[in-house]
Amino acid sequence: MKLMIKQFAVLSILIIFASSVPVYAGVPMTTAETAVRKVLDVLKDPKLKNPSAKEIKKEKLRVIYEDMFDEIEFSKRTLVRNWNKFTPAQRTEFVKLFEQVLEKAYIDKILDYSNEKVNFYKENMISDNQAEIQSKIVTSSKEIPIFYRMILKDGKWKVYDVVVENVSLVQNYRTQFNDILSKDTPEQLLETLRKKVSKQ
Amino acid sequence: MKGYLALSVLLIFLMTGCAHSPRQSSSVLPSAQSAPQILLASTSGEIPVKASGKSADAINDEYKDEENIDYADDKFKEEKVEIADPLEPVNRVMHLFNDKLYLWALKPAAQGYKAVTPEVLRISARNFFSNLRFPSRFLSCLLQSDFSGAATEAGRFTINTVWGIGGLMDPASGKALDLQMQDTDLGQTLGVWGVGQGFYIVWPVYGPSSPRDSIDIAGDNLLYPVSYINPWYAWLGVWGYEKINATSLRIGDYEALKDAAIDPYVAFRDAYIQYRLKRVKARKAKVASSMPSVEESGSANPVLPAKGN
Repeated sequence: MKLMIKQFAVLSILIIFASSVPVYAGVPMTTAETAVRKVLDVLKDPKLKNPSAKEIKKEKLRVIYEDMFDEIEFSKRTLVRNWNKFTPAQRTEFVKLFEQVLEKAYIDKILDYSNEKVNFYKENMISDNQAEIQSKIVTSSKEIPIFYRMILKDGKWKVYDVVVENVSLVQNYRTQFNDILSKDTPEQLLETLRKKVSKQ
Repeated sequence: MKGYLALSVLLIFLMTGCAHSPRQSSSVLPSAQSAPQILLASTSGEIPVKASGKSADAINDEYKDEENIDYADDKFKEEKVEIADPLEPVNRVMHLFNDKLYLWALKPAAQGYKAVTPEVLRISARNFFSNLRFPSRFLSCLLQSDFSGAATEAGRFTINTVWGIGGLMDPASGKALDLQMQDTDLGQTLGVWGVGQGFYIVWPVYGPSSPRDSIDIAGDNLLYPVSYINPWYAWLGVWGYEKINATSLRIGDYEALKDAAIDPYVAFRDAYIQYRLKRVKARKAKVASSMPSVEESGSANPVLPAKGN
């Protein structure tokens, strides 16, 4: 009997814990925050402080953000109508190149991280499957608001847009691609991206 | 046995207690859906599920033609964020000029200055200049009939000038007083009044702008004490120092956006328009919420036009 009570107590505590944690934050917010905390853990890891560990860090970060971002959704939303002008093979290449362009541009800024605080403070449910998570990075000299827009697909919340200081990345690239693809073909855009990725 | 009963009562109590709270606050989710999500999210939080977890079919599906590609039902769809750019050829030259000005002059100067000046001092210098820009923020608040904002600004100016050693420090925004800087300017004021951006202009040195925000640059300079420094080279020195100081606190931001852009000129134009549009919208929301009585009376208030941005 005693054993049974013990088991039951453990079980009920587990149930309470499992059911109450998401209630306070909401699933999208928890998902985004967990991913960002994992990024911070890698950046803060004392074992990886050595400059030679940069590649290991990058590889670890890649795993985290591939899990966090929906790069296909992101690509589609930046191309909008132009998506259908690409052949399936071009689409696959576009998604891959675009991801590399973003990684190249932002990785040094991310690796520069030096103990800034990250606060997640608000979750806006926009619809059943869309949410906006508001966070800010607080440094000694400034606060940078960063919002994550997330979508629910196959039971998993993924980020498809990041809004930094009021500027939506999807919107920003949409304007650029619209401008470029009104003059150039998809192949020419891909060539531009290929050059951008291979350039050191 | 008694303990068993008590435990189960406690359990039921806690479970129902937990189930109550989300109804009011966050749960727009239909409850039938939320349970499996919670389970999935909590498991996936532990093990990074890579894309390889998906079946090949699902991936091919993702790359198919998209019917609803306009995202017309997108809740985040902004009203038009494009801007006319009839001066594009000239603007592109100016953009290039500003780019080189930053990379060849401003950035090296800021890096050198950063190397020899502790951050605390640079933040103090920024606070000092920001405090001097009080007249333009104060007037903007008044012109938007944001009287609480104007009062906050007046309070901030007094407190920071007297207790913050002439504005070098910012005690007003501390926890005790919580008087935050009113993030507003004359361009926003015109926006709140319903004046649109017009078209895109890139000014040398000042950068992205529009006819509306050019009025802001002019008005801001008129209200900024530093503009009245005589002789001109002393003014230039102070003005240049302010720019270098501000840049030293933001090195890398410009480069990141530029490197990430496919067409940097278009990227900066879009970022500028998005940024300004949302700032004007935020001010409009603040003004509207701070004076509900005016809206109720239904009087045609010239400060709060129904449309335009």
